[in-house]
Amino acid sequence: MKIPYYQVDAFTDRLFGGNPAGVCPLETWPPDQTLLAIASENAKPGNAFFAPATGEADFDLRVFTPTQEVSISGHTTLSAAFVLFTALGFAGDTVTFDGQSGHLRVSRQSDLLVLDFPALPAEADGPLESVAAALGNPPQSLFTGLDWMAVFAHEDDIRALAPDMAAIAALDCRGLMATAPGGDCDFVSRFFAPGAGLPEDQVTGSAHCMMTPYWARRLGKPRLEARQLSARGGTLICEDHGARVTIGGNAVLYAQGTIEV
Amino acid sequence: METGAIPIYQVDAFTDRVFAGNPAAVCPLDAWIDAGVMQAIATENNLSETAFFVPDGQGSADFAIRWFTPVDEIDLAGHPTLATVHVIFSVLEPARDAVTFSTRLGDTLLVTRNGDRLTMDFPARPPEPNDALGDVAAALGAEPAEVLAARDGLAVFASEAEVAALAPDMAAVAALDCMGLIATAPGEQCDFVSRFFAPKMGVPEDPVTGSAHCTLIPYWGGRLGKTEMLARQISARGGTIHCGHDGARVRIGGGAVTYMTGAINL
Repeated sequence: MKIPYYQVDAFTDRLFGGNPAGVCPLETWPPDQTLLAIASENAKPGNAFFAPATGEADFDLRVFTPTQEVSISGHTTLSAAFVLFTALGFAGDTVTFDGQSGHLRVSRQSDLLVLDFPALPAEADGPLESVAAALGNPPQSLFTGLDWMAVFAHEDDIRALAPDMAAIAALDCRGLMATAPGGDCDFVSRFFAPGAGLPEDQVTGSAHCMMTPYWARRLGKPRLEARQLSARGGTLICEDHGARVTIGGNAVLYAQGTIEV
Repeated sequence: METGAIPIYQVDAFTDRVFAGNPAAVCPLDAWIDAGVMQAIATENNLSETAFFVPDGQGSADFAIRWFTPVDEIDLAGHPTLATVHVIFSVLEPARDAVTFSTRLGDTLLVTRNGDRLTMDFPARPPEPNDALGDVAAALGAEPAEVLAARDGLAVFASEAEVAALAPDMAAVAALDCMGLIATAPGEQCDFVSRFFAPKMGVPEDPVTGSAHCTLIPYWGGRLGKTEMLARQISARGGTIHCGHDGARVRIGGGAVTYMTGAINL
């Protein structure tokens, strides 16, 4: 079976930046073990597979890391939409996907691709001392939810973090984000998920579902420019809409080809 | 940065079926591009190695070849070379049955084909006893019968089951005074088995490692008194290596399968 393959750098406007994802448009679904084998062979943090929808959305979408299927991945969904809009000639300015986490919309707004996600709530609590030890520097405050969010005073604090990955993996959370006000943007962050096999994620759309409401409230503005300060780096345009957030970014096509399995 | 399209192939080496063996990316070039761009491509590919090759302008070999891991350029790599000749034989120059490569170190590598079997002729890197690598037993979580080293450390165990059961402390392996660490033992259904750990090079466990056999072949050839051997690398994906020992040279052979064919947009 031949399958088209695209590799996209998401949340960046330059090649070799952002977060890489593999994208495979399908006509029919191969067995699940083939999808996982392709994702493992691709060795990219996110791999999107989509096929014409059986329900009301435009496409059915499934997302795999090299080791497992996951319910949602922002940069991977952005990459799938980018391939549809740029390489596959999808007509219209909004594409909808049915995925494991429900209905997802991606719109193109001038040169940005914009994801519409539910906001993720954050409670001001958690074991501050354990997080301080894992990050090697005490945050000003700590919030818990699907992921945990450690808030620092300065961008330089975020850049300088050299976390103890084993200690982060031992925390009772999916991932740990560290965030601070940005020097030349509204806020910056890094995201660590060693327990999920990602010591440091390059650009993490879903983390911004928690950070956007926090920074929008704190800075008193609904539209925020964010940078993720990983080695590859990423830029995200975030908007607070109460129960929803939108997360926008650019993407670049690194390679395209054909897989034969 | 140069711009344009670069062909890319992803090939599974040391196997006869897709999703097994060791994946490598292969990029044929007309002329060398900036090393920083080759490194960025290898990092983006995130496979254990990406091979780049050009026609050898010096005339001493057919092609010149370089290999990059996601973090560094390395001076010799087996499975990406096997993947490269698979691309040359199956796509670019199907009339050939032998290819020579010049390397950055000045070696010339010869690869031949016999049916589906590709065979690389590499310099042997025989290991010597070495007790100065650091605490190999602690890094592997098991006490080897002996420790030797060439470029890589070589930890020899008594049984295949011991090698299969290893769960190394990758931070401790990375702290050893060797590029990578090979664990090996006699095979139950072949001459010897191995696993290869190179966290220092960004590859915690390599699925199948041709270059490790530059050290494994002279060791097992001497110990077993054989010049032709069958080896298995017992990683999760697994691979089969046909080995020959010719004194200062070794022959490392296997099959390869093309997984992906495409183009990079620089």
